[in-house]
Amino acid sequence: MAKKKNMAWYILFTAPLLLIFITVVIIPFLMGIYYSFFQWDGIGANPKVFVGLDNFIHLFGDTRFFKSAWITTLFTILAVISVNLVGLTFALLVTSKLRTANAARTMVFMPYLIGGLILGYIWQFVFSDVFKLIGVVTGLEDVFFNWLMDPSYALYALVFVFTWQMAGYVMIIYIAGIQGIPNDVIEASEIDGANRWQKLRNIIFPLLMPAFTISLFLTLSSAFKIYDVNLSLTGGGPANSTEMFAMNIYNEIFGYGNYGFGQAKAIIFFFIVAAITLTQVYITKKREVEM
Amino acid sequence: MRILVKFLKNILLFFLALFFLSPIYIIIANSFKNRQELYENVLALPESFSFQYYVEAMDKMNFLSALGNSLYITTFSVLFIVVLSSMTAWMLARTNNKLSNIIFMTFIATMLIPFQTLMMPLMQLMGSITNTLHIPMFNTREGLIFMHVGFSSSISVFLYHGFVKSIPITLEEAATIDGASKFGVFWKIIFPMLKPITVTVMILNVINIWNDYLLPSLTLTDTGLRTIPLSTFYFFGEFTIKWNLAMAGLMLTIIPVVIFYALAQKHIIKGIGEGAVK
Amino acid sequence: MKFKTRTLGSLLIIALLLILAACSGNGNEENGEEKAEGSGKTSNQKITIFQSKVEISDQLEALAKEYKEETGVEVEVWGTTGDDYFQQLQIRLNSDQGPSIFSVQNVTEAERLESYVYDMSDEDYVKHIAPGMELKNNDKIVGVPYGVEGFGLVYNKDLISPEDVADYESFVSTLEKLKADGINGLGLAKDAYFLIGHISNYPFSLQEDHYEFIDKLTAGEVTMAETAEFKEFGKFMEAIKLNTPSPLDVTYDEEIGDFAAGKSAMIHQGNWAYGMLSDFDIDFEMGMLPFPLMGNDKMAVGVGSNWSINGKKDEEEVKAANDFLNWLSTSETGHRYIVEEFGFVPALTNIDSGDLDPLSQDVLDASNSGETIPWAQSYYPANLVPNDFTPAAQEFFLSKDMTGEELIEKLDAAWKNAVK
Repeated sequence: MAKKKNMAWYILFTAPLLLIFITVVIIPFLMGIYYSFFQWDGIGANPKVFVGLDNFIHLFGDTRFFKSAWITTLFTILAVISVNLVGLTFALLVTSKLRTANAARTMVFMPYLIGGLILGYIWQFVFSDVFKLIGVVTGLEDVFFNWLMDPSYALYALVFVFTWQMAGYVMIIYIAGIQGIPNDVIEASEIDGANRWQKLRNIIFPLLMPAFTISLFLTLSSAFKIYDVNLSLTGGGPANSTEMFAMNIYNEIFGYGNYGFGQAKAIIFFFIVAAITLTQVYITKKREVEM
Repeated sequence: MRILVKFLKNILLFFLALFFLSPIYIIIANSFKNRQELYENVLALPESFSFQYYVEAMDKMNFLSALGNSLYITTFSVLFIVVLSSMTAWMLARTNNKLSNIIFMTFIATMLIPFQTLMMPLMQLMGSITNTLHIPMFNTREGLIFMHVGFSSSISVFLYHGFVKSIPITLEEAATIDGASKFGVFWKIIFPMLKPITVTVMILNVINIWNDYLLPSLTLTDTGLRTIPLSTFYFFGEFTIKWNLAMAGLMLTIIPVVIFYALAQKHIIKGIGEGAVK
Repeated sequence: MKFKTRTLGSLLIIALLLILAACSGNGNEENGEEKAEGSGKTSNQKITIFQSKVEISDQLEALAKEYKEETGVEVEVWGTTGDDYFQQLQIRLNSDQGPSIFSVQNVTEAERLESYVYDMSDEDYVKHIAPGMELKNNDKIVGVPYGVEGFGLVYNKDLISPEDVADYESFVSTLEKLKADGINGLGLAKDAYFLIGHISNYPFSLQEDHYEFIDKLTAGEVTMAETAEFKEFGKFMEAIKLNTPSPLDVTYDEEIGDFAAGKSAMIHQGNWAYGMLSDFDIDFEMGMLPFPLMGNDKMAVGVGSNWSINGKKDEEEVKAANDFLNWLSTSETGHRYIVEEFGFVPALTNIDSGDLDPLSQDVLDASNSGETIPWAQSYYPANLVPNDFTPAAQEFFLSKDMTGEELIEKLDAAWKNAVK
């Protein structure tokens, strides 16, 4: 009886959202999997030819895809580290009682409000003019030049801009986490004579585990899906050196008109990344302190 | 010594903030320049601070109508998201069984799917819903709200789920023994405690939905339904971008969100003083 | 106490939500029904237009208003941002939300949309299309051109005279001379079409039959590397790289700005660039010259985009769309908009062009004299330029010692990748 009642509550609480979620995300995703077995150019009235696993087999010969997958992985690793480092630092700074904290919080968050083409243009300008200027003034021309012109530095430029954009975003998650730490716990540790670092390491960081899980995963998923900044900042160039995964798929689907093949790419990469990240989430979730 | 550390911290913060703000300076400065000025020096202050480009941008964007649409769509999407995903996340976190785990993992996993791969099947599905069930998914703000809720659900459930876990379960158990229904327990006890994360969820979703271009561009075609980002399309020509209008338009787009954020963040930070919830 | 007010608040919000959801749901259905009824009763079928040229959106909306005043038929113009136009069109057609009239850029796109584009061969208005300018798919006319566009060397008449750039030798020595004077001889920009897209047309267009050549290239029967025009094109590109600043650093705005300021003597651009040039104070005369590949003296003239009709729509809507295109190409108002408001060089024989800007005038003169070469890019594989040619060109401009010959080999490989 009680079990039945609990089940009813369970359904009542979860069904509305699940229904929407399934319609908007899951079914289209499954449709995408279905299309990955066809050769189709993505125009509704044009023929869809069933090719079985051909698209997946074909994938192994696509060096540009592998290159793109590798760059995306590299980018994701660098971006996750730098975004979280900057975001957490800020969160710790602005939650301490500083006069500038309030203003800083808003300022750091501002970049997240700006998206798309304009962002790319502004940063193109910063790299091509401001960086050069800094290089000339400081004499550090090996470090400060137009990063977008160099196939390997263009990737760092992306990490840089992505960090600029996302740090404020994860900052507010860390802030929410820090706010959630009961004051008495910290006070107690202070009474016990813990120094700053001990406090961070032994009290704050463990209690921040949920915020870590969330922030890591959020940056990971958005770094992995990066498209807008990629398009507007480098456009995948120079010479395809920054063609990230989402852009590679987009080009395959809409550029070359290989709808089925593009979907096959999306699915393969999705399962690989999902396997890795879900393991990560699972592990960090386990380490969270249950209160 | 302490004062020195504090002073250094302030200085550090100041420079970092400067770094974060300087590109925004470029946007503002150039929203006042004509093409010649922009070409001559992007960094310089504009020769005059006349608001003509703002007026022109507002006029072309049909700003008030677009603002109304954006407010309507964002407000209701976020309300639905907060209500539905907090409920779902709480149930999933508190009911520890296989089903919950599978549902939760599915939510998380879908966050890795680039929207670009979903948009075509999504639109096909919405097209057939419109045609067979006669529910107008296209060209209605409600249809767009529905899709926004769907796309934001993963991240919101994910955020709530993490924080529900940090709430002591004993509180709920006590209330349940007192005879409160699950509904009562959630809204009376849990939801108020989730306030910091609710504000976070609201902020993040408000921004995403407010700034979203792709989804509304695919679903709303009626001129009268355009959201603010959609209505700036006039400024982005095939090859030529009208930078001053585009930047003025961008400022007009983000000002409402900045105000919202400035108001909302106080609620997260207030937690310090209150602290009593725990 | 505190808890109570909060609970009350949250309950209120939920109640409000439910009510609103219910209301808006109802409202919708009513709207939907109204719309359906409306379209059933009146014979004035509403039509919708979705097109890629953002520059004319404003004017097109004004035109729609005038059309409604004159004929009573409502025309709705959808917004777009040029870049993702085709994807948006594709998605809308697939979900049965297609427009009645849409723009199609070229033959390749028309082929892909074969089952949608309406065969307008028998319509009256296609008779007015200038010879050779109609969009065809399998000998059927499927598009009315927006207007004629041309590209070439846009030059500063104070710094360059036509004989300075008549062939490879004079072109190179001009660039060298200008370089010595501290002036950029030829400006390109980093955008895909301005970097390689447009300029890559010439060796194709100069083939006897560029359609046949492209088919052979796709089939692998010929390569660019073994064709004379491409060999010389490689030499041209090498000379440009050697004697001008790298275009990869240059935005379209800067390319135009440098030309307007007299820092560049020539830029490779089309007559559309005048729209931007007119934003600058310019104190010299300009004009457009053919690109002298193999001594070529003909301007590359083509059609930027075309109006096509969605043949999948019901008969009534197709007819309404035809009426609109007919009105656009024959009525006085339509003509006024094409020439004055849209600023096109008309591709219809029944229109007199008005006062044109100097670049468009040069294009029109070339077009009238028939001394033109076609745009081969209309027949390129879809998205070849941004996806394949551009990375190759970027590599070429980045590397100090990559030769023009190697560039052509890269372009060969890029072509293969695009058609695989």
